[in-house]
Amino acid sequence: MPALDLAQEELGHLTPEAMTEVATALELDPGYVEGVATFYSLFHLTPVGKHHFYVCTNLSCAIRGSAEIVRRFRETTGVKAPDEVTPDGLFSYEEVECLGACEYAPMMRLDQRFHYDLTPEKIDELIADRKAGRAAPPSPAATPPRERGGEAPPSPAATPPRKRGGEAPPRKRGGTTRKKKADG
Amino acid sequence: MAELRGSSGDAPQNLLTRWFGTPNLHTLDVYESKAGGYTALRKALFDMAPADITNEVKTSGLRGRGGAGFATGVKWSFINRDGPGPKYVVVNADESEPGTAKDRYIMENSPHMLVEGILIAAYAVGANQAWVYMRGEYDEPRRMLVEAIDEARAKGYIGPRPMGKDYPLDIQLYRGHGAYICGEETALLESLEGKRAQPRSRPPFPAVKGAWGRPTLLNNVETLATVPTILNMGGAGYAKVGTAKNPGTRLLTVSGNVRKPGVYEVEIGKTFRHVIMELAGGPPEGRKVKVFWPGGSSAPVLPESMLDVTTDAEALAAAKSMGGSGGVIVMDDSHCVVEAAHRLLQFYAHESCGKCTPCRVGQDWAVRTYERILANEGSRIDLDILRSVSDGLQNGRSLCGLGDSGGWVIDSTLRHFRDEYEDHALRHECNVGGVMAHA
Repeated sequence: MPALDLAQEELGHLTPEAMTEVATALELDPGYVEGVATFYSLFHLTPVGKHHFYVCTNLSCAIRGSAEIVRRFRETTGVKAPDEVTPDGLFSYEEVECLGACEYAPMMRLDQRFHYDLTPEKIDELIADRKAGRAAPPSPAATPPRERGGEAPPSPAATPPRKRGGEAPPRKRGGTTRKKKADG
Repeated sequence: MAELRGSSGDAPQNLLTRWFGTPNLHTLDVYESKAGGYTALRKALFDMAPADITNEVKTSGLRGRGGAGFATGVKWSFINRDGPGPKYVVVNADESEPGTAKDRYIMENSPHMLVEGILIAAYAVGANQAWVYMRGEYDEPRRMLVEAIDEARAKGYIGPRPMGKDYPLDIQLYRGHGAYICGEETALLESLEGKRAQPRSRPPFPAVKGAWGRPTLLNNVETLATVPTILNMGGAGYAKVGTAKNPGTRLLTVSGNVRKPGVYEVEIGKTFRHVIMELAGGPPEGRKVKVFWPGGSSAPVLPESMLDVTTDAEALAAAKSMGGSGGVIVMDDSHCVVEAAHRLLQFYAHESCGKCTPCRVGQDWAVRTYERILANEGSRIDLDILRSVSDGLQNGRSLCGLGDSGGWVIDSTLRHFRDEYEDHALRHECNVGGVMAHA
């Protein structure tokens, strides 16, 4: 899974080629790797927007108005269905199960951080900020600790914490050609 | 960090959350100097034999805070400390039970408390390596815990000779990728090994054959974070708090239709009326509590008339429910119970791992039945179908508890709110309207 993570970090989503490459590097069957990738909801097998809104719609958020949050996101961005990406490549959303921050419902995850006490107006603001390039940098969690100084360097994708001495990192990292993300 | 919503300060029941909210409590320095951190680890490493630690936890009566509520000390004693080869401690930080946020609350406020608990547990059961399996969506808790582990390593509390003791201890983090089933301990182990997270048959239990086939202790975040407190108070001291059979305090996440949602530390044995109406401020003006889930969405619901049920496992079992993960979801009278049950069955259908047929087919069948009922196409037959689907999910027909959980939602809502089901299925009307309708 850490290897798939790296691939997704580079490409924005997991392409069949990337999964095959992970399989080759780890000496696994490509079908097995795809089986793992399709099981977990945080692996994307199709392109998602640069800013993917993971909106919680489970019970605690639903009874505090998450349907309205989803509706406003769709109206403001013009997106009609989960995982549909806006033409500029910036936005997409999905409805996710409980994210474990129920005391701040309704809430969502966006750009590697949680956003709390959502209102339709806040959704508009978050979208406008990102359109104007004013988005706050991702939470420092997005960068591995040894690269982290006082200021969090902006990083477009989350990196899992570096494993120390646990399992070996995937051997071939530079193998995949770095493609541009869907946002172009 | 966001504003603290929940317990902190020196109220007598705040055994865990006493210092929460203290500036920089997440740093090793403040955790040690202000909150008396790592005294329990020092005591464990130098003043106690490993078996004494396990006995102390047994004496405390601590029960697992993840959901199943198994006696923690007994679980520790299942690991044969003197057996050959490596043993592991795996921490379940995959908090995904709907309505539960307590582990996040602990890791964001006092990550060193968890680190200390893990190290003590590893020493007690004879493990040198611990893994924290954390859900992938927890960006902030991951950052906090990575920092805490780094600090503890730099200070020499984690490493080849923790605090100078000749007993190597290490902690690694593993990031989950979004699957509720990983909260189930054997599914978590599969995932940790890099596979699809599908539960294993038991026996063998993880204490015998766990991660990579080795003896493994699995505990929840809150359970391990409580261990330093137990060593500091003494097992007997801790056992005086709470009820005789279910000692201690626990962190209850109160969410939904309450004025002050939050994570509240409560002495076990207090009533849900105290938790919901006093701590969380009750429902908004002019509304009444209709129903609450006392321990996450998997715990069978209780109606408003049962607010005086107490929070201990025995009282909840007598009320045909359970303490589960401590996620108290409150719904007021502006919401429809049938809609809520439908939403939860969608959740269980989505999260079913597909390994065993009763759960894979049953949850989906239930969702389709709810859809018919809510589309005003229901009849008495659909209520019977719900009953039989629910039965098919439970009583050991599914490999793990996910199947049962869906069945309990159906059973308990039908048991207490038969009228609302009949309104929908037989009369095609709803007494409150579809407030939760999907976008």
